[in-house]
Amino acid sequence: MADAVLSLHDARLTLQGNAGPVEILRGISLEIGQGETVGMVGPSGSGKSSLLMLMGGLERATGGTVSALGHDLTAMNEDALARFRRAHMGVVFQSFHLIPTMTALENVATPLELAGHADAMERAEAELAAVGLAARADHYPAQMSGGEQQRVALARAAAPRPDILLADEPTGNLDGANGQAIMDLLFGLRDRHGATLVLVTHAPELAARCDRTLRLADGLLDRDTPQRSAAE
Amino acid sequence: MSGGLPFALRMARRELRGGLRGFWVFLTCLALGVAAIAAVGSVRESIARGLEREGATLLGGDAEASFTYRFASDDERAWLASIATEVSEVVDFRSMLVVERDEVERGLTQVKAVDAAYPLYGEIRLEPAMALADALAGNGALPGAVIAPALADRLALAPGDTFRMGTQEFVLSALLTGEPDDAGDGFGLGPRTLVQTEALENSSLIEPGTLFETRYRVALSEGADLATLEDAAMDQFRDTGLRWRDSRNGAPGVSQFVDRLGAFLVLVGLAGLAVGGIGVSSAVRAYLDAKTEVIATLKTLGAESRTIFAAYFAQVAALASLGIVAGLVIGGLAPILASPILEARLPVPAAIALYPGPLLEAALYGALTALIFTLWPLAQTEQVRAATLFRDVADRGRRLPRPIYLLATAALLALLVGAAAWFSQTWELALMTAGGILGSLILLALAAHGIRLLSRRLARSRLVRGRTALRLALGAVGGPGGATASVVLSLGLGLTVLACVGQIDANLRAAIARDLPEVAPSYFFVDIQPDQIDGFLARVEGDDAVSRVDTAPMLRGIITQINGQPARDVAGEHWVLDGDRGVTYAESPGARTTITEGTWWEMDYTGPPQVSFAAEEAEEMGLQLGDSLTVNILGRDIEAEITSFREVDFSTAGIGFILSMNPAALRGAPHTFISTVYAEEAAEAQILRDVAASYPNVTAIRVRDAIDRVTEVLAGIAAAVTYGASATLVTGLVVLIGAAAAGERARVFEAAVLKTVGAVRGQILAYLAVRSALLGLAAGSVAIVAGGIGGWAVTTFIMGTPWAFEPVSAIVVVAAGIIATLLAGLAFAWRPLATRPARVLRARG
Repeated sequence: MADAVLSLHDARLTLQGNAGPVEILRGISLEIGQGETVGMVGPSGSGKSSLLMLMGGLERATGGTVSALGHDLTAMNEDALARFRRAHMGVVFQSFHLIPTMTALENVATPLELAGHADAMERAEAELAAVGLAARADHYPAQMSGGEQQRVALARAAAPRPDILLADEPTGNLDGANGQAIMDLLFGLRDRHGATLVLVTHAPELAARCDRTLRLADGLLDRDTPQRSAAE
Repeated sequence: MSGGLPFALRMARRELRGGLRGFWVFLTCLALGVAAIAAVGSVRESIARGLEREGATLLGGDAEASFTYRFASDDERAWLASIATEVSEVVDFRSMLVVERDEVERGLTQVKAVDAAYPLYGEIRLEPAMALADALAGNGALPGAVIAPALADRLALAPGDTFRMGTQEFVLSALLTGEPDDAGDGFGLGPRTLVQTEALENSSLIEPGTLFETRYRVALSEGADLATLEDAAMDQFRDTGLRWRDSRNGAPGVSQFVDRLGAFLVLVGLAGLAVGGIGVSSAVRAYLDAKTEVIATLKTLGAESRTIFAAYFAQVAALASLGIVAGLVIGGLAPILASPILEARLPVPAAIALYPGPLLEAALYGALTALIFTLWPLAQTEQVRAATLFRDVADRGRRLPRPIYLLATAALLALLVGAAAWFSQTWELALMTAGGILGSLILLALAAHGIRLLSRRLARSRLVRGRTALRLALGAVGGPGGATASVVLSLGLGLTVLACVGQIDANLRAAIARDLPEVAPSYFFVDIQPDQIDGFLARVEGDDAVSRVDTAPMLRGIITQINGQPARDVAGEHWVLDGDRGVTYAESPGARTTITEGTWWEMDYTGPPQVSFAAEEAEEMGLQLGDSLTVNILGRDIEAEITSFREVDFSTAGIGFILSMNPAALRGAPHTFISTVYAEEAAEAQILRDVAASYPNVTAIRVRDAIDRVTEVLAGIAAAVTYGASATLVTGLVVLIGAAAAGERARVFEAAVLKTVGAVRGQILAYLAVRSALLGLAAGSVAIVAGGIGGWAVTTFIMGTPWAFEPVSAIVVVAAGIIATLLAGLAFAWRPLATRPARVLRARG
């Protein structure tokens, strides 16, 4: 793929468990193009989230290469990875992972501040308004519902206008209605800003909204289907 | 109770089976607080027992009768001889030791003139070693003397050299390195000189009216009843001015001083325990927060609130007992292990052993503190609802516990203060200390709240835009669940005690060492005989370098009765009634005297004796105009009516007499004059040379030397209190390290999230450092305010000296706060910095 945003070649991840080494990913090769929306599905323990973490540079591949926007993530040190994410990536987690000692506004403003934006707070306010939480800006995570916390996390991920949005089961901890609302927001944000979206999910209907579906099984890419084919 | 107490205890046992790993802050805080109090109490008790055991040696006899200005009468001698197996006579007075070389050198000395029986108990140690009798016998031509090494060093004297006291020459036989009755003699302004009394016959030092004291030490037969003998002595000789002391309390001054200082240090120790209490409270809160799901589950299964309360109360009680026992073991054994050092360095005897009294006292304080600081968090287990398990948002709002818990906390607090007052025997000091600690805690709690609000506001202000580390740190300090409250309270209280001690010490030193010489005279001249006063005044008043000379006749007297009743029955333990006091007389009040009430006697008044009394002391003693005082002067009772009160200012170190009588009342009583001379410093030496040459019997006390001596003693006390305060700070540091350790998991998570959103390690480190420094700055700043208020209150209301903010110790306190939090914070920064985001975030997923 000529304009690949994410590119993995024989990417492997082996972790040291109590009972010895555990192969989480056993050689994944794939490319994701600019503006694509990709859903990753598969049974629990198949390596979906680990693959997403490799793509985000949050986990270091123990073999193969992982590139993003032409940069080899496996060659970068911890700080270089952080700077890369700051400039190009937004990540949303199943458990929201907001910093509990910060208000919603401060959580959203943090990546903008780290990137040195002078108008971090104003932009964070706008992002919160975009997810319908303008009135909750001064609330701490513990004062908000799970759905609200995930909306803050979405705003935080989208605020720096990343090239790549990574979402790890963003509706996994939410009920149906809240989950639907979050997905609408996530796809709306992607549509507005044109980012590449990679989404890990257990829900077939969410995967169905993506351009392409990757199915993982036992640490290997089992199937890579464009959405239309998957639907067929 | 569902399941009842047995279930609660079983539950407690099961929960504690996991070990004590999470409780080290709890245990250390309590153990340290209890250990400090137990150690101070044990040393105090050891000294008290030591003084009791060595009572006769310290006193110099089984009992002692002493007189001011005179030797015992024949009747008194006969009575003493009748009760004793042996009697020793000692004369004590101040004098000048003069060495004539090319330049004449003088040193103030406290002279003890003794007879052949001295010392009845204990041993005199001399360098070179020799018998005291041989040393004092002299070299055949001159009588001998032994002097303290400090005085020998100052005057460059070595054994074999000669010196003069009054008009008598002495040969220095040896240096006096050990005196068994030294601690019993009280505070002396000069180092000791020991001579034979008979060698003073031609010295012109013991003249009528000269200020000297005689002490008759008696050795009693085995089984003599000291209380009966004291009663008998008082019955027969109360009105002759005889004062009685015996080996039941051989060194009352020392024992009272040690008792007071010990009591004060125990109270300072309570501040340490309060700091420990904050650590204990934080630990219990964190423990119970982690148990929210367990509690909710138990409630789902049908456990009542009180069963759950009992289960966790039992756990806390078991842990507290362990902490207290550990503290008692450390505090009880520490003085025993340190006994070689303690015995070598303490100037008084100490019988160091394990005493149950101080350990029980420390255990009681520990138990009460643990209860006070854990009852509130324990009560909040009642607020955990079973629905917590199923609710999306945790109910984190903290409500006040039920009134019964608040009442119980208040009652326990009252019990703790009451116990402190009862044990310390100083209600006022205990209440003030408790009030100080409580006030500081309230101030610190309010400050912690204020700091959080301010940080929250600042975090959002434009001022910190672009300063990510600072904004993140401010957000963390101001945010919920942070360590702000516990760090500001614990470290803040530790630093407050230190700041308070620093402010008091600095102000007191400033008042004595810096301000006092500005207003104080250069010299006190005492024992000026009536036939010498005119010549003396001619010399000093004629000197251009002398700006002021005050002179007054001086006698010594004891107030024995007030309105016909024994004085102590009327005015209690007031210091004016401790031993003899200076008494003067004057025709008129003098230009500098302010009469506050009543009228001065008329010129040439010859009616019944009248007395003018110091106004402040009169008010403290409850004296009124018209009251009659019986004052024993030289064995003669003078009954005088109080006809006026006047201001007497002791703070300027000038002449100040509590009692001033009309001249006719004291006519005929032998007396000397006291004089204060205010001179330029450069002229002081020449004045001393001239006066000493003309009047060898006159003793000069250089005020600057006396101030140095007092400052030395104060420095010792300040050091002891600073050690006590340091124990508080150490406990504060434990709480701080505990808070940093407890927050490590949260920091690791924050770092993972920050890395995810693009923070590099340098930014995370800066954030953690700024966050820690902010907490230290906050704790230190609040401590300065709280310590400053405490210092101001003590300086102004207790010491009555002017207060000024002392910046150096304040800067030290703030710096200590910042360094402590920074070190504790950075010590736990490694894991957050090294963390891999994916592992942490997935583990929490």
